[in-house]
Amino acid sequence: MEKILTKKSFSKWVKKLESYKIYAPVKNDDLWNYEIIDIPESIQLDYPNTVLSPKTIIFPQREIFLEFKASNEEGLEVKEILPEEKPAVIFGVRPCDAIALTLTDNVFKGDFEDPYYWKRRNQTILIGLTCNIPPSFDCFCLSVDGSPHSKDGLDILMTDLGDKYYIESLTKKGNQLINLAKDCFEEPKVTDKKDLEEIHANSEKQIKRQIKDIKKIPKKLKGMFDTPFWDKESLSCIQCGICTYLCPTCHCFDINDEVASSAPLKGKRVRTWDNCQFPDFTMHSSGHNPRPDKSSRLRQRILHKFQYFVELYENFQCVGCGRCISKCPVGIDIIEVLDKVRDYGS
Amino acid sequence: MVNVEDIKKEAIRILKEGKVKYIIGYKKSTNGSMSVPAFIESSEDVENLIWDPTCVYNLTRFLVDEKRRKAREKNPDERPVGIIVKGCDSRAIIVLLQEKFINRDDVYILGISCETTGVLDEKKLSKKLNGKKAEKVEYDEKNNFAITTADGKIKVPADEILAERCLECRANFPAINDVLFGEKVERKSDKPFESLEKIESLSKEKRWSFWKEQLDKCIRCYACRSVCPMCYCDECVVDTINFAVTADTTAEEKAQRIKWVEKSPATSENFVYHLVRAIHLAGRCIDCGECERVCPMDIPLRFLNKKMEKEAKELFDYDAGFDPDQPSLVSCFKDEDPEDFIR
Amino acid sequence: MDHNVYIPKLAKIIEIKEEVGGSRPIKSFRTHFINKNDFSHRCGQSAMISVLGKGESMISISSSPFVKDYLQFSILKMGRVTTALHEMQVGNVIGIRGPYGNGFPIEEWKGKNLVFIGGGIGLAPIWSVLNTALGKREDYGDLMLIYGARTSKDLVFNDELKDLKKKITVFLSVDVEEEGWKEFVGFVPQNVTDKKPSPKNSITVTCGPPIMIKFVIKALKDLGFEDEQIYTTVENKMKCGIGKCGRCNIGKHYVCKDGPVYSWAQLKNLPQEY
Repeated sequence: MEKILTKKSFSKWVKKLESYKIYAPVKNDDLWNYEIIDIPESIQLDYPNTVLSPKTIIFPQREIFLEFKASNEEGLEVKEILPEEKPAVIFGVRPCDAIALTLTDNVFKGDFEDPYYWKRRNQTILIGLTCNIPPSFDCFCLSVDGSPHSKDGLDILMTDLGDKYYIESLTKKGNQLINLAKDCFEEPKVTDKKDLEEIHANSEKQIKRQIKDIKKIPKKLKGMFDTPFWDKESLSCIQCGICTYLCPTCHCFDINDEVASSAPLKGKRVRTWDNCQFPDFTMHSSGHNPRPDKSSRLRQRILHKFQYFVELYENFQCVGCGRCISKCPVGIDIIEVLDKVRDYGS
Repeated sequence: MVNVEDIKKEAIRILKEGKVKYIIGYKKSTNGSMSVPAFIESSEDVENLIWDPTCVYNLTRFLVDEKRRKAREKNPDERPVGIIVKGCDSRAIIVLLQEKFINRDDVYILGISCETTGVLDEKKLSKKLNGKKAEKVEYDEKNNFAITTADGKIKVPADEILAERCLECRANFPAINDVLFGEKVERKSDKPFESLEKIESLSKEKRWSFWKEQLDKCIRCYACRSVCPMCYCDECVVDTINFAVTADTTAEEKAQRIKWVEKSPATSENFVYHLVRAIHLAGRCIDCGECERVCPMDIPLRFLNKKMEKEAKELFDYDAGFDPDQPSLVSCFKDEDPEDFIR
Repeated sequence: MDHNVYIPKLAKIIEIKEEVGGSRPIKSFRTHFINKNDFSHRCGQSAMISVLGKGESMISISSSPFVKDYLQFSILKMGRVTTALHEMQVGNVIGIRGPYGNGFPIEEWKGKNLVFIGGGIGLAPIWSVLNTALGKREDYGDLMLIYGARTSKDLVFNDELKDLKKKITVFLSVDVEEEGWKEFVGFVPQNVTDKKPSPKNSITVTCGPPIMIKFVIKALKDLGFEDEQIYTTVENKMKCGIGKCGRCNIGKHYVCKDGPVYSWAQLKNLPQEY
């Protein structure tokens, strides 16, 4: 379904979606992040990209798995705590972040489906926004099979045509949202379609950074496990968690018991994000650590994203959003590292 | 003005003469105008050295890495490491010397004076350029920065994009050094803690809600801790119970360790982490501003640590990082120390 | 709640046996699910044992799949969760979720001679596959166990070993001379070289400390065993147990899900990072 929505009518549409929790990017001081919107008129879609991707809404940094407490009958009682039933709509999702969710989907399904992830995933509708201009100087989505107007993983794609949006609905859920507010929309004219195609074509030309011959990289990495390359590349890494926590495709987590009272026993089992760059991520109880230094940890990050994930799911575990490059405290540039990998040894 | 060729000449000299193992300096990044840390081992690498207002990083942090690396090696190279430092960075080296974490002959200090300006704040720069990308930023004649973009070169008064701490600078050039580049221009601030006033003037309730709003943003990436040269503890208050375990640690010892802070980024845990870190830095923080610069959520961490710096000064007349022979704040006392809490 | 992979099923501890005392104690726990369920496992699989309030630990199931009344876990006291387990009494309740892992491909070994080589607590995962083979004795050739520990007090399943000697060939060892010890003195790999198991139509399964495995594999190769004939188990730090938390991977494999059982032919091609 393709429609036109004037910018004036945008908040009218949002008002019709009152049965959903509405998320949109909000600016606080100078920082953009997704927040729940109470006032539809306040939604601003003219923004670069959020610091934390929409992954945070579907796979939050902290969620409760279960509650436990001492009981008289069987000694212990365990109660499952599933996410609440509240359908949500996220506006302003950049195409790279939507593709990222289709990548993390691979991890959370399979033989053991993750009920917490899927409960949120299935009740969330993603409305994307074409990147007419790249949100960041470090964007490189084209190199990793993405694009600034990709529809992959989205329910609706909105493109800003100036005073109106071109609406492309891609799924049943997307159609449902449009049908809730039929009179807000108009039919697109031929000129609108032409404008759309021009904007989409232009958007690709503006992505300046790229990784040439990225297809060569998984095979190259396979032979680079035992080389001193990683020692050199990781010299300036300070072992924080910024690259992995901000990455829309990273999914590592930890499970911990948080005890409110030990006698009588009462507490929660909680999942939190975790980070392969932290020194104790792979540390055994005995103290043995298979990845004892930052060289092996950087190697794990690059190999996981550009070799292991490809071997498992035939996709790079990277969408080219550029957050890790812009926010790395010491300027470690994943594009530069991959260029060096591709040219290593020649 | 500091001439980078002089720095390069000195770097080549000390490398050729084998005086240092390698030099930690700044080089251009591959994705913009900001510099990045460089580890220079050969004369060829020296060509990459730069000095301009984007040399923001406090490289002292890498001296902690160096010490850990040496401890793991069987026959370590005992030569010093060369390091390029600004005035504020050198105060960090002095604190490490005060605490006897490193020895004076572990470092060969190439000090650079900020003269009348300082280094820039990346966020202020990007605001000034209104979305345009900076390709290069250079020192210009007194008190100006020259910014090159795709549209050409513009000159901007340095004060408009200087890092906040530069506006309150108390150490314009490294007093401790093996060689100094640039002129010793005094740029002492009259009111070194002025930036704290706007928070100090808030009521207790408003201060609580200010900090709650800020610390609720924290995603516990620990970049603030990782970048700080003074956070060098082998095991930190937030680390897991199994951290710093050897083959001899018994199961009981591991089981009895207390988990002080949960991994969850809840308000209570974030507060404990940040406040404990600030207290552990009392009398040690030298305001290099790195913690605030690296925070991806823009939390104004400098205020927390600067407040502790002010307390140290007002209560104990203590200034960290100026005198290598001075003991650390918490390991000494003076007869004049306040006693009004003793009843 | 029954289908939620992260929710442990509650089980009561019905029997506790102290296998090894001293500073590195090992206890065997037999557990019985409180509510009836269809838990069934293959030999070599593990389960995530929960001590609610402390955490979880992935422990191999040492009872064979033929035993339906209980699950047996033999646990070395190592850290927070295992210390809490060692302090428990019969009647205490723990959580179990699983079974996880690929298990031993014992169906492929029909008709072959099986050589089991274990060190210390490494006998626990071997115990399940050894007893599975004994449970269908006619399906397999000769069975041999080569097992050792630091001292005779550190040998697990001591009582059962005496019974086992009547059924199959068992060679035991201790690391250093001990009063009253009449069998081999030396490390387990040295005992392997000494006893010379034949590679003809054989499969070996070896479990123990990583350094022991390294030298056992060398000793086996010197005796003519091929990489495909040597099986071992790998361990890594685990949290979810189902290949999602990203922690236990070796290359593209998640040890909790794709392992922990590997043949040396597979393992030598993976990054040596475990």
